[in-house]
Formats: sequence, structure tokens, C-alpha cells
Amino acid sequence: MWHIAKRELSDNLNSLRFALATVLLLGLMLTNAVVHLREHPERVQQYRERVSGHQNHIAAHASNGLYDLAQEGPGYLYKKPSNLRFCAEGSETFMSDRAQAGYHRWSTDTLKSFWILAYPSATPNRDNVRPEVTKVDWGFIIGYVLSLVALLFTFDSISGERERGTLRLTLSNAIPRHTVLIGKFLGAFISVSIPFILGVLVNLLVISTSSDVHLDAEAWGRLGIIFFIAVLYTCLFLALGMLVSARVQRSAVSLVVLLLVWVVFVVFMPSTLASIAGRSTSSGPTYDFSERSWKLHEELSSDYYANYDEGPEGSTKRIEIDGAYVTKDAEQQEQLHEERLNRRIAEVHRARAITRLSPVTIVQNLIESFAGTGFERHLQFLENVKTYAREFRTFIVDTDNADPESLHIFGVRTGMSQEPVSPEAVPKFEDTLNLSKDFNTAATELLLLTLFVLVLLSGAYLAFVRVEV
Amino acid sequence: MMTLIRRELLDNLMTFRFAVAVFIIFLLVVANTAVLIKDHERRLAGHKTEVQKSRNYMSEGKTYSVIELHVDRPPNPLSIFNTGLDKRLGNEIWVYYGHIPTLWDAEKHSSQNPFMNILSSIDIVFIFQGVLSLLALIFAYDTLAGEYERGTLRLVLTHSVSRGHILLAKYISAMVCLLVPTLMSLILALILLTTSPSFSLSMQDFLRIGGIMVASIAYLSVFYLIGMLISSMTRRTSTALMLSMFVWGFLVLVYPNMIVAVIQPSNPPEERKASAHNHIKQIWEAFERERKHYLTTDTHLEGDPYGNLPWRDGYNFEHFQDKVSVLQYYYHAGAEIDGFREARESQVLHVQDYHRFLVPLIIDAAEHTWRVRKPVLEELFVLPATIDKIWLRLSPTGIYDIATQALAGTDLNGIQDFFTAVQQYRQSVIDYYYDKKVFASREWFSFDKAAVDWRTLPQFSFQRSDISINVKRALPDLFLLLMINIVLFIGIFLVFVRREV
Repeated sequence: MWHIAKRELSDNLNSLRFALATVLLLGLMLTNAVVHLREHPERVQQYRERVSGHQNHIAAHASNGLYDLAQEGPGYLYKKPSNLRFCAEGSETFMSDRAQAGYHRWSTDTLKSFWILAYPSATPNRDNVRPEVTKVDWGFIIGYVLSLVALLFTFDSISGERERGTLRLTLSNAIPRHTVLIGKFLGAFISVSIPFILGVLVNLLVISTSSDVHLDAEAWGRLGIIFFIAVLYTCLFLALGMLVSARVQRSAVSLVVLLLVWVVFVVFMPSTLASIAGRSTSSGPTYDFSERSWKLHEELSSDYYANYDEGPEGSTKRIEIDGAYVTKDAEQQEQLHEERLNRRIAEVHRARAITRLSPVTIVQNLIESFAGTGFERHLQFLENVKTYAREFRTFIVDTDNADPESLHIFGVRTGMSQEPVSPEAVPKFEDTLNLSKDFNTAATELLLLTLFVLVLLSGAYLAFVRVEV
Repeated sequence: MMTLIRRELLDNLMTFRFAVAVFIIFLLVVANTAVLIKDHERRLAGHKTEVQKSRNYMSEGKTYSVIELHVDRPPNPLSIFNTGLDKRLGNEIWVYYGHIPTLWDAEKHSSQNPFMNILSSIDIVFIFQGVLSLLALIFAYDTLAGEYERGTLRLVLTHSVSRGHILLAKYISAMVCLLVPTLMSLILALILLTTSPSFSLSMQDFLRIGGIMVASIAYLSVFYLIGMLISSMTRRTSTALMLSMFVWGFLVLVYPNMIVAVIQPSNPPEERKASAHNHIKQIWEAFERERKHYLTTDTHLEGDPYGNLPWRDGYNFEHFQDKVSVLQYYYHAGAEIDGFREARESQVLHVQDYHRFLVPLIIDAAEHTWRVRKPVLEELFVLPATIDKIWLRLSPTGIYDIATQALAGTDLNGIQDFFTAVQQYRQSVIDYYYDKKVFASREWFSFDKAAVDWRTLPQFSFQRSDISINVKRALPDLFLLLMINIVLFIGIFLVFVRREV
């Protein structure tokens, strides 16, 4: 077996395709590293500035007292850029990089609306009029280029030998067929891996030698998992190439079939499925969000003005009515925003479930979730934001409860604690990435990918066992 | 010559790859057209509801100053062929007299799910880009190398046939074979389009589609010739095939994506943006000083135009809009007031005078801002896109994409046409306001005497640019494709003529 693998390997290493694949993968990986080094420091810098802006915002309002802090809210909360963004760009430009924890809707002479958590939909990509292209990230290199290379290495592995008659020669020796197949598979696998590993090493070398990008132990762990996924994905295409090569008489036909399968599954399936998915999901109710929000507010405010005269100006009763009005309004509106967000997320989940039929989408989703970019990461960010919002509100309540002179009525300046708030005590938002969460979401996709590989491998085995020489 | 062509044609038609080519192109084009038509219908429905909604909104507005005119960009039916920027850029814009609207002020419909953008989109040109080029190479890789390997090339050349004729015959027959599935699938797509009720294609649209077909044929031919060139230079078909596949991978898959990532706009745009933003801010500060000055000199107003008007109901607002990323900065104010508690008509007259003074001042400042803003926007957004396009043209795929976008009218120029129309619309509304002396009228801020009649207001209408303009925009790229064809053919001829058999 090892003998066959070695023979295959030396065959491949001397071939033109090996040289071309090495050049292509090295060039792409190098480009990827250079672009990342150019863009990433800017992103990190911007994030740092924004975080300090957020802290200044909180400090400024904390010094104005508890009411101000509770009314204004913590301001914009920003998503932390992943330091593995070179692995998967993850459509980050199509998603908002922030959540708005401080969204003002109205004010009257005495009252102001309280902050709510809103999710702006503006994306960094809206103003961009540059031509639309796929980012050259690991996801692209693995998903498209590596799979093509894998097919180009295996399309003639069996049919080519049969054409030349050497297959008969090999099989006339006392070697079981599966040993031949495994040997060939290993040979092809190693010869595809060499250019890829070279590319990866160069890429990581360039990235890790730069002082601007720091990869910690966790990041290296993630990179290891991504590498493993890439290997699994390569195996899938090697198995496919062997399967077709065993079934087809001539290697030219084998290549034509493989290329067309590749084009359909890798290039067109993701987009076509996405179009179908996008169509099927948006048929839901599209009532007007702002109209509904306005109606809710109108109802509440008419209720409020109906009870307006129950409490005379300055009395506790009046403060209670005012506070109930403001807090209820904020609660309703935030719920509305959250409902909309949840509906949108559910739509995307459904759409993404459909696009999972294509192996390249699975792999890109997987790489995204382990690189800490993309949609799953966005959901994690939103989760962090919600946790923080709760924490912030709890802090306000606790601070107010600690002051015995306060009336403990939220929503009105006079109802709340007048004590100064120390800016250091206010919780600050810190966005974090969590690997165990990623693993949960990625497990299905990983299993699906493994299933694909196993099916194709056994298919290749069966096809080769039954092949007539 | 004819026998040669006939022989080649038969050779190609009987092959497995021809059957597969027909099948794949049909499958992809028809399936995707069906999906794209549905997608377009949905976008059109979205557009219609937005237009309807803006009508309702208008009928609810009671004074001139609070109303912003809503304009919605209709989806381009030819975006099925090449989506370009049609889906990606904003399609909803508010026209306000104090701000000159541009593409960068537009918003997306709020009913759309912004997350859906993370799923990639597809169009017919995208399918052709990938499949046609791949098929052309698959047809071409063994035309010369294969005959050489089998020894039939020697046989053919022993007859008194010139080498040029052989090349031409091979080229023509293979192109015919490739054009059959291409044109048939395009015609099928057209049949699907014309039977769909939501599409109303004009004569001009059909001409545009014809232009897209021409570009597709030229693109196909470029890749066939590349394959032939490789085939004429190599001795073995397997080498030719490997080289062709890697060339395809590089030109179609890698280069267009890589080059846009590598190029970076040369000058630091942030500083330019900051200085322009400062400049614009100064313009509005000067405006604000003048406004304050007027308010303090008119003793009846005492600093607040509505402060001395005791009113029963309504609201007023006033703020500076500031969005640094696209240099959006303007003063926005409006009022909708219903009746005054006591008749103080002299006071109302003063407020009217204030607006007679103020609104032209706002319009003036807006024009001034535009003069600063326009070149910076060009430099920040349009210039990088232009540079990208120049680099993209190094790959035939890029040229093909740019040419078809220009023909379909979904490129930047096509989108800008719409916003130019919006700017003209704003101007016509302002002219109308001046004509009717709306600024100095009571209806500008109050509806106690009479609500505004919106029916006489100019209506927005937009016609996509004439086909001649589209062709003019696409012509350089079409010409480039043609040039590449000729150069490649000459190259093949030279290589083949000198070749030893």
C-alpha cells in the first residue's frame, strides 16, 4: 500500500499540475496574508477608538447622575473584529457592526423616552460602489480552488491507468483492490496537501511575524480545527474524483464530468439555492414596522393623557403615572425591535438550512463559525449585547435601591436617586468570542460533511471493486 | 474548406461533451431564470407597495415644511441578466429642498431583511461567465494537440489544405457547436421572461438583450481561442488540459476576486473626508449665524419663530443632520401647527417673513455644500471603483461583466442616471415652490386656514437611459473583447504555421 502511495506521489510531484497548483495556492495565500495585514490593524484601531468612545459616553452621562444614565443608555455597542478574519470574511460587510443601546424617539417638556436596544440595519457595504467580488479568504481558497485542484489530481487516477494498461499490470500482482485504492487515495491526498500546507505555512508565517496581529493559543486552536475541516473537504473531492474516474472509461470524459459536477455544486448551487431560499422565506407578512411602532406609542400616550389629571403637578402620584408611561413605552418598543430581529434571524436560518445542500456552503459556514465571523458570530454578538443590556439595567436598579432618599420610580428625574454615580462602577460592554458555543452550532455541519465524505468514499470503493480491467 | 468544417462539426456534435454542454447550460439557465423572475416579481411588488405608501404619506402631510418627497427606485428588469449594483445600492430616497440627494443618501426598503444579503446572488451573466468559458476550454483543449497525438494532423496536412483554413474550419465548427446551446438557452430564458406578466420589455430592452448576446458570443470566442492557443503550443492533450484548467481557474475564479482585494485607493481618504466635512460644517455655521441674526433683529420673533405664537396643537422640529461617512450635513426644520389660540395675525405675518428669508438661504447653503461635496464623493467612492474596473479588464471575465452591466444599465452610470433624475426633480419642486411663493405662505407651517393641495405638485418620473447611451458606455469593452479575439487568432495562426508536425 505504501509502495503504491509512494509511486503515485512521485508521479504527481513531477507533474505540471503539481507545479501549477503550488504556484496558485502560494500566490493566493500570500495575497490573503498581505491584504489581512493591511486591513486588520485599521479594523482593530477603529474598534479600540469606538470602545473608548463608548466608555467616554458612559462616563459623561454617569457624571450627570443616575437619571441621565438610565435615560440615555450605554450608547452604541460595537462588535469586536475577529483576528482570524483572514480565514473567512463571512459577509461581515453585509451585517451591521454595532447595536444601538440608546435610541431616542420622543421628548415632551417634562419627559424623555428611555433608551431601548435597537438593531440598525445599515451595513458598511451600502456606500460601496466598487465591483462586487468574493473576498480571497481561506474559505474561498479551500472551497473553490482547493476543491478544483483535488479534482484535477484524481480525475485520471484510475481511468488514466486503465487507458495506459498499467492498471491491469498492478492488479495482476497479489494486491487486494482496496489496497490499491487506498494507496492511490493516500498518494493523491498527500500530493494535494503539500501545496496547500505550503500555502498555509507561508500565510501564517507572514501573518504571525507581523507585530500588528496577535494570534493567541485559542486562535491557533481554531486554526487547527479549520485546517482539519479543509482536509476533510479535500477528501470529499478526492473521493468524488476517484468515484467518477473508476466509473468512466476515458480520462477525458472523466474530467468533463467532474468539472461540470464541480461547476454545478460549487459555483452555482450556493447562489441558486440562496435565491430559492430568499424567495421562499420573504413571503411572510411584511407589515410596516414603523407604523406599528407608532400605533403602539399612540395608544399608550392617549391612555397616559387620559389619566393625566389624576395626579397634580409635583405629587408622587403624578411621578408614578409619568414613570409608568415612560418605562412601559420603552418596554413595548424594545419588544417590537426584538420581535423583528427574531423574525429576520429565523428567515436567515431557514434560508441557510436550504443552502446546506452544497458542500462548499457547509465548509464556508464551518470556517466562518470557527474563525469567529459570519452570521453565527453575529448572533453571538447580539446575545452578548442583550446580556449586557440586562446587566446595565440591573446596575441602575441596584444603584437606585442603594439610595434611601430615592422614590424608586424609574422614568422620571425626580423619582430617581439624585446621588452622583461613579463612572467606574458602571458596567462596560466587552464583546467576547466563545469557542464552545461555536462548536455547538457547527456540529451539525461537521457531521453532514463527514457523512458526504463517507458516502463518496464507499461509493468510490464499490465502483473500483466492480470495475473491469 | 466546407468539408473540413463539416467533418469537424460532426466530430464535435457526436461527442459526450456536447451532450453534457447542452444539458448543463439548459439546466442552469432555465432553472435560474425561473428563480430570478420570481425574485424580480417580489422586488417589483416591494417597489409598488413603497410607492403606494408614499402616496398615503403625502396625503397625510398638512404643511409644506414637514413633507419630504419620497422617491423609490424601480428594479431594473434587465438585472436578471446582470444584477450589477441594482440590488445592492439604496432604492429609497427622500427629496428635501435643503439637501441635494445622491446615491449615498439613499436607503434600503425597511421591509427587506438586511441579513438576506449575506446569501450570494446570481444572474445569467454569472452563469455564462463560469460555464461558457469552461465549456469553450473543454472543447478547445484537444483540437490541435489531440490531432497531433493521434497523427491525423499529419494526414490532413498532406492534402493541399492551407493551415489557415484548418484553423478557421476548426474555429467555426466549434463555435457553432457552442453557440447552439448558448443561444437556445438564452431564447428559452427570453420566452420565460415574456410569458411572465410582471415583465414589460420594450423594443429597446430587446436590443439591449441582443447586445448582451453579442458580448456573450465574443466572450465565448475569447475562451475558445485561449484553449486553442494552448492546444497549439503543447504536444500532449493532457498537458493542454491541465494548462487550460489552471488558466481558467486563474482568469475566471482567482484574478477578478484577487485584484479587487489587492488594490487600495492611493490617497488617504479619511483626511480628505475630514477636511471636506469641516468645510461643509463651516458653510452651515455661517448659515446658522445669519439665521440667528435675523431672529434677533426681528423683535417680534425673539429668537424662536414659533415661541410667540400661542398654538393649540401640532409640533415643530429643527435639527442638523450629520453623517460623516457620506458627508451628509444639512439643516432640517419643519412645523405643522393647527390654529392659534388668539388671533395674532401680525405675529403670523412675521413668521411668514422669516420663512421667506430662511428657505432661500437653506437652498443656497445646500447648493454651496453640493459644490464641496460632489468632488469628494467622486474621489471617495467613484474613483476607487473606476480603478478597480481598469484592473478587472485584464481578465476577459471582467471585461465581459463590465460590458454587460453597461448594456443592462445596472452599472454605476445606470444607477447614477436615476439619481440625476431625482436631483432634477428636486429642482423642479423648488421651482414650483418659488412660482407659487410657497415659502412665504401660511401653509408652509400651519394648516389652520387651508391644508396643502398636493395634486398640483410636480410628479417624479424616470426613464432609463436610451439604448444608444448604453451602447456607447459598453462599446469600449465590446471593442476590447473583439481586439483580444483578433490578437489571439493571429497568435494561434503564427504558432500553428511554424509548428512541426
